[in-house]
Amino acid sequence: MLDAFSRAVVSADAKGAPIGSSDLVALRKYVADANKRIDATLAITQNVSCIAADAIAGMVCENTGMTQPGGNCYPTRRMAACLRDGEIILRYISYALLAGDPSVLDDRCLNGLKETYTALGVPIAGAVRAIGIMKAATIAIMTETNSGRKMFDGINSGSGAECQEIAAEAASYFDRVINAIS
Amino acid sequence: MKSAVTTVVTSADAAGRFPSASDLEAVKGSFDRAAARMEAAEKLASGIDKVTADAVDAVYQKGSYDQANKDKCARDIHHYLRLINYCLVTGGTGPLDEWGIAGMREVIRAQLLPTAAYIEAFAHIRDRVCIPRDMSPQAAAEFKALLDYLINALS
Repeated sequence: MLDAFSRAVVSADAKGAPIGSSDLVALRKYVADANKRIDATLAITQNVSCIAADAIAGMVCENTGMTQPGGNCYPTRRMAACLRDGEIILRYISYALLAGDPSVLDDRCLNGLKETYTALGVPIAGAVRAIGIMKAATIAIMTETNSGRKMFDGINSGSGAECQEIAAEAASYFDRVINAIS
Repeated sequence: MKSAVTTVVTSADAAGRFPSASDLEAVKGSFDRAAARMEAAEKLASGIDKVTADAVDAVYQKGSYDQANKDKCARDIHHYLRLINYCLVTGGTGPLDEWGIAGMREVIRAQLLPTAAYIEAFAHIRDRVCIPRDMSPQAAAEFKALLDYLINALS
């Protein structure tokens, strides 16, 4: 597993050169943005059940056959497995966001996920849709563009607008999951 | 690769939980120290050849020596300093542990290398760091801690 710092180290080691001023520019930005990154991670961890449960519910609402006998979310045991997977994917995305590097997501979550889903007969289109909803919800909460209660209201007002760049990074991790299973 | 952030993520993942408030505190703490570490890394990277030459000259000033041996010694010291530069960037001892210290004892024993010379060179570098000419006190503290860590491993 790598983070933004060890990623720089691994690529510098391949060249056999020490890490100098030019390589440190990006890392200094990562450190300078630390508070935004932590706020963005909190936006996920404080709203896990909301993000994951809504996404699965949304997916099912669009395909009501799923909860009927013969559907992929029938009986509740399989619906529960689906909810659990939503949370697991969200958890690895929160790790990647904190580390500033997708390697933890790739190594521990996405590697073999598509094969597993195919073997278990999980409908990929449904999974992609659920992840798409999680992505939209996460970005909205992070940037405070959601309807309803704002994440940083009263505590750290205005953080949402400053989290645009980090939110774009988070969106890229959701896209990575979608690409990995499609 | 072990660093402040990956340590936190590894333990959170082992417990199957999201990063907790204390995890985020730990990450924040390492970011607060990052400026000093990166300063030390930057200064070391820009002066790495000079620091290496200075240390090797200090070790080889006594008695006669073989130039080929001196060149090899310089190469090794440069290598270890590069790993220290990486450690300063990651904020952990991962690069030194994984690429410098793992298996080092076996190699040293097989090649009959005199570790005393390396220790003397790194001690020389540690004692020569001048505050504030070379780097700030915090940066020097981070740098010296890693030199001590390496000296300890070589001893």
